Amino acid sequence: MSGRIHHLILPALVGGSFHGYATTYHTVESAQKACFPDGTEFTPADVKLTKEQMKAIEQDSGVRVRLDTQKVWKASRGGQPAGWFIVDEVLGKHEYITWALALKADGSVQSIEVMDYRETYGYEIRNADWRAQFLGKKHGAKLKLDDDIRNVSGATLSCRHITDGVKRLLAFYELVLKH
Amino acid sequence: MSSYSSTSVCRCRPLLGTFVEITVRGDPARIESAVSAAFDAIERVQRLMSFHDPASELSQLNRRAAKRPVTVDDWTFQVLTAAKEIATASDGAFDPTVAPTLQRWGILPSTGADIASGDWRDLELLAGRRVRFRRPLTLDLGGIAKGFAVDCAVAALRAAGAESGLVNAGGDLRALGPGEETVQLRDPQSPGRMAHELRLHEAALATSAPTFSRRAGPDGDLSHLVHPPTRAALVDGVSVSVRAPTCMVADALTKVVLFGGQLAEAVLALHGAEAFVLAAAPLPLAA
Repeated sequence: MSGRIHHLILPALVGGSFHGYATTYHTVESAQKACFPDGTEFTPADVKLTKEQMKAIEQDSGVRVRLDTQKVWKASRGGQPAGWFIVDEVLGKHEYITWALALKADGSVQSIEVMDYRETYGYEIRNADWRAQFLGKKHGAKLKLDDDIRNVSGATLSCRHITDGVKRLLAFYELVLKH
Repeated sequence: MSSYSSTSVCRCRPLLGTFVEITVRGDPARIESAVSAAFDAIERVQRLMSFHDPASELSQLNRRAAKRPVTVDDWTFQVLTAAKEIATASDGAFDPTVAPTLQRWGILPSTGADIASGDWRDLELLAGRRVRFRRPLTLDLGGIAKGFAVDCAVAALRAAGAESGLVNAGGDLRALGPGEETVQLRDPQSPGRMAHELRLHEAALATSAPTFSRRAGPDGDLSHLVHPPTRAALVDGVSVSVRAPTCMVADALTKVVLFGGQLAEAVLALHGAEAFVLAAAPLPLAA
């Protein structure tokens, strides 16, 4: 084989460290600023869902509602309604991803921003108990949040859970928020 | 010299079925609009070429191009042209018409289109950006369109005056600017481990591996990687990364290396590309 294909033989699966990421893309304030024009004001308007509302959202969206509290801000500009800003969490491969959905005043999607992305990899890291034994450990820890690893090329993680989250939050808007 | 001190911004949005991360360094006054322009370019590619959106140009092609020629956007035509070229050069090791197999496996959604009977040879590209299928086809531009979207985002960053940046669409990535970016290749057998490190300077890198798509099927394991001649799933613990001048080419060439056998070297050379194959043992890659 000539020089254009480099075969790299993987080492056997003994030991080795597992890597994780925690990337913060946005705070609440910076995400609000990214989603709405300058001069928009945000009023907190968190919603506590009743059991009936949770059930109705699940039926409408086909997506499970995990939490009964939704973090919401009402956006306004010059005293006029400008839309809604909702912060939500969905499960990634193993960890929760915090993201924001901005809705226009008519309830249509204005934009979506990922705020916090946490990820650990490895089939061994499936359950929380296994993971918990490494949390808080520094010296000799096998699971680490690695700042050096910024760019990874490899198998793709799907964003399907955010797509489901959008469906769930649009049902939340339709059934709860707009009333 | 520029009169500002540059700043950097890193943003992430769910697009193209994955997480797209854009990192940019440049003029603080223009950096947010550069990031917006880059995400806009990716959204445009998604609107044109999404397999999942029945309103996309790609879906319209799949419904109509076997009956009569369909005129498409310049971007769609560029991707189809590259797809046809690479399919031809690799004798179908890269084939954008294997979607019906993935639909049968439940990896791609059903579209209710005609029974697709053709392959890449039946994709006809005519003058005036018109496209015709000689036999019914179900095209899926998934990976190659994702690579093209990364290229478009990089072009948008450049046009908006970014000094340097990196666009990463779920592992398909491209660096722009004077510096070198370090990229880790994930171990396909244990995705928590990083198996190799590469440097990128004004270049793109894409990886294909069945690591996360592998699943049990009724007649053995399945994945999103289909060997075109046999329509069998690739389920080995292998990954192929290709470094190339553009991300569109890099993504398509991963399949050429996986499935192209002896032809792969020549196709890589044609595009000024290099491949990195990660496996537990030297693989007899499909010929």
